[in-house]
Amino acid sequence: MKPQPPKWADRFLEWYCNPDLLEDLQGDLHEIFAEKIATGKARSARFYFVWCVLRSFRFSVINRDSKLKNTTLMMTKNNFKIAFRVLWNDKFNTLLSLAGLAIGITCFILMGFYVKQELSYDQFNTKKDRIYRVWLKEVYGPDQIFFNSVTPIIFEKTLEDNFGEIETVVQFDKINYLVGQGNDRYNENVGVISPEFFNVFDFPLIKGNTETPLQDRNNIVLSESYAQKYFGLRDPIGQALPVQIGEEVREFIVSAVYADIPKESSVRFDMAISNENNKDIYGERAMTAWFNVSPETYVLIKDNANINSVEAGIPAVVMSNLKERVNPGEYNIGFQPLTDIHLNTEIPVGKAPVGNPTYVYILAIISVLVLVTAGVNYTTLSIGQSLKRSKEVGVRKVMGAMRTSLVNQYLSESLLISFFAVLVGIALAHVALPIFNDLTGADVSLSFEPWHMLLYIGLILLIGLASGIYPALVLSRLRVISILQGKRQSNSKHYIRKGMVVFQFVITVFLICSTLIMRKQLNYIQTKDLGINYNTTVSVPLYPDPAANRLSTAISSAMEKGNLLKEKLNQYGSISDIGMGSHVFGTDGWASLAYTDDEGNFRRFRLLDVDPYYMNTFNIKIKSGRSFDPESGLDKRQSIILNQEAVDYFGIKDPIGKRLPGKGFGDHVIIGVTDNFNYSSLHNAVEPLVITQNVVPIFQGISDNGFGDSPIPKLVFRYSGAQLTQVKNILEKEWKNTFPGEELNFSFVEDNMKAQYASENRMSKLVTVSTILSIIIASLGLLGLIVLVINSRIKEIGIRKVVGASGLTIFRLLASSFAMQLLLGILLSIPITYWLMSGWLNDFAYRIDIGIDTFVLGSLIALVLAFIAIGYHTVKAAMVNPVDSIRTE
Amino acid sequence: MKRSQLGELEELVLLTVGSLYEEAYAVAILNVIKEQTGRNIDVTAIHSVLRRLEKKGFITSSMGGATQERGGRRKKLFVLSQAGRRALDESMEVRMALYNKMPKLAFARIAS
Repeated sequence: MKPQPPKWADRFLEWYCNPDLLEDLQGDLHEIFAEKIATGKARSARFYFVWCVLRSFRFSVINRDSKLKNTTLMMTKNNFKIAFRVLWNDKFNTLLSLAGLAIGITCFILMGFYVKQELSYDQFNTKKDRIYRVWLKEVYGPDQIFFNSVTPIIFEKTLEDNFGEIETVVQFDKINYLVGQGNDRYNENVGVISPEFFNVFDFPLIKGNTETPLQDRNNIVLSESYAQKYFGLRDPIGQALPVQIGEEVREFIVSAVYADIPKESSVRFDMAISNENNKDIYGERAMTAWFNVSPETYVLIKDNANINSVEAGIPAVVMSNLKERVNPGEYNIGFQPLTDIHLNTEIPVGKAPVGNPTYVYILAIISVLVLVTAGVNYTTLSIGQSLKRSKEVGVRKVMGAMRTSLVNQYLSESLLISFFAVLVGIALAHVALPIFNDLTGADVSLSFEPWHMLLYIGLILLIGLASGIYPALVLSRLRVISILQGKRQSNSKHYIRKGMVVFQFVITVFLICSTLIMRKQLNYIQTKDLGINYNTTVSVPLYPDPAANRLSTAISSAMEKGNLLKEKLNQYGSISDIGMGSHVFGTDGWASLAYTDDEGNFRRFRLLDVDPYYMNTFNIKIKSGRSFDPESGLDKRQSIILNQEAVDYFGIKDPIGKRLPGKGFGDHVIIGVTDNFNYSSLHNAVEPLVITQNVVPIFQGISDNGFGDSPIPKLVFRYSGAQLTQVKNILEKEWKNTFPGEELNFSFVEDNMKAQYASENRMSKLVTVSTILSIIIASLGLLGLIVLVINSRIKEIGIRKVVGASGLTIFRLLASSFAMQLLLGILLSIPITYWLMSGWLNDFAYRIDIGIDTFVLGSLIALVLAFIAIGYHTVKAAMVNPVDSIRTE
Repeated sequence: MKRSQLGELEELVLLTVGSLYEEAYAVAILNVIKEQTGRNIDVTAIHSVLRRLEKKGFITSSMGGATQERGGRRKKLFVLSQAGRRALDESMEVRMALYNKMPKLAFARIAS
């Protein structure tokens, strides 16, 4: 028999093809097939036949009569056609519904992406489920807990040697070094990483030695953008890059370049050297120390291993290494999943900043709330519409429409609306993104990924069905007889509709009041009298002598260098009150020291090392005793000043002339006590503070220390020039003269103070944005409803006016029902707001009271906005000449 | 009514239909185009172009001419209509007019 084309393809063609086209099309394909067979290429003939059958499967060829013209498809098409006409006919209401929904969706998308970004930290690592960060918790007593997510260096070797479940252990540290040569020296945070680091984390190496990038201890790897910063368009591989480590400037050879690390990574560095250099960096003793923490440690466990079995083995390993030095339970090592780092505030911050999970969840909830408001808004509007459309329903029912087909009809409308709303919403979100980022300081990017399509389709279905189902049910339930007789429908549905209006008000008033409370709190903490004066104060970080190997000498050498700069700056009239101090206001984490006092109590306090002028620069007030005397050598050596909190904490009566309660301290004497000025952000209460000019005697007596902020001194001064930009010119000129080759950084203390509340500010702005959007949505809803109510009562109003009702009476009549709903909404929202906002305020040590005034103001705003929304139409209805409205029936 | 524009492939197919006269059906058209231009076009593309041209009224069709290798199925034969002829004439005119202008312009460009 002659070869035949594949049967299935032939049948498929017969099935879908329009019969008018089938004979010719099939004939053609067979003819070509026969031609190809004749040339002896059976395989390609068959393949081509199938290809053509598939290619012909297009809309113009498909048999529309039998395949598409079944009832379901026809009705669906018809439904959408009718829906489109209905929507088109009532453009005003359609526009209101569409605008409301679109705004809600825009808000949802923007917030959603922000939340998603926060939640997706570190998710890009393919081995994320097997990577854990190690933490160390030393517990020696109730007040003596040292909890760190940075660890001793020896952990890398210990964990690798003792646990078969662990595939690799890597460490990561970030240290500030001067990098580059000549005039191109910059202060950089250089990563110090284990050579196997790139096998654990997904940071693709794109140039150079991509297999073993840090083979040699003299290798350095750069990120793509930093390779460009230092080498421009030249090939960086094999180039030398000097890094000053301690006293020594070492030449590192660039061995590889890696792609810039994504924003959503907790572990970030722009350049990195091998931790084979640890001995140079931390010193010989740190290599084997168990009580000296610095790098973060990450373990990658084997594919089928469980972290629990590693955890279970930890105590034995600890005790075998630290038998004589700790008791069981005192030295605890634990593991935290990589993906947990960004939003877990219970484990201390390591090298990576930690986000606030509460804010993320609050924003997620708010974005859903706004979306729900928009949906509810649409529902109330379309239930309102149902009044108008009852006749339509009656006629449809008489013609034999089933309830389900009516439901389908009305759902088509809501689906159509939600489809357009999602389209508009997506477009708006993209347009508004830069404004949104700018306004909120968030850094969201809307990159399109294929699964977003599914999300959007889901959103269309969800919004369309959820907000359309109730009106559809209400409409389809209407009784034919009563509709066509013109009877009024039962009132039961109004309760639900009113309930939804109330619900909308609850959310809106809640958002308004929350915004007000947040603003008030932020305003309060930013304007609170901190007991210091930091207006127009500039802070310039100094550099220690590279040769200084002890902290106390590093501090004093930086002060000496600072004095050189100070002399130069003194000649400027616009610069006054120059001082130096180890910490400056606006940064948290001032040096925290601890020791055990004479009575065996574990004591913690913070230390500020200053020159005699620092107190003056910031106007720190002395409560009793005296301040430092610049002329006094004794003050320079041994005088200390406490804050009031420290006096209370140490329990010293009449502190002037006394010592701190501890034997280990060197010679020192208390000469003064200051007010409790706030030196860290207002999230925290004031802690005990010791101010000194000489850290040595204090350092002698302490057993533990922690530095959240670098204690290397900063030069501070007050600038009184007219233009703030001029201070930059002065500083740059004098800095270059004094310290050529070092990078100048400076900042205004005021800006730093503000930056401490950046995340609160961002949060407040995000909430403000959602509030405004939800107000707009709610106003649109009200506008739609009032127009509807007026239209259905236009005759009533006319008659009332004829009988003698004044415009004001009419206005009251129309507004009163909304006013009641609004009042109910306000009443319900107060407890919710109070409860949620108290939770937020608990984050602050210094906080406002949620006074009644906030709620009064918030309610007033809501009321005024509501009346603006309904006002115009209500007034218009009240003014209308009754002749026009009741002349015709 | 707005005049229908001819696409490149449409024009080619229309010309072929005209030149094949009474013998024009998809496979024949395909073969002619392949011979004349060396272009390898899918038969499905020819089909959709033919459908479009018929819809625009440039060609008319009739069934006829069953053969053995077609499994006894008839062909759809296409003939150029009046409108089709006119459309081809117009498009040729435009082309020729532009073509005739070209050398002068081209030389002018080179000269400057």
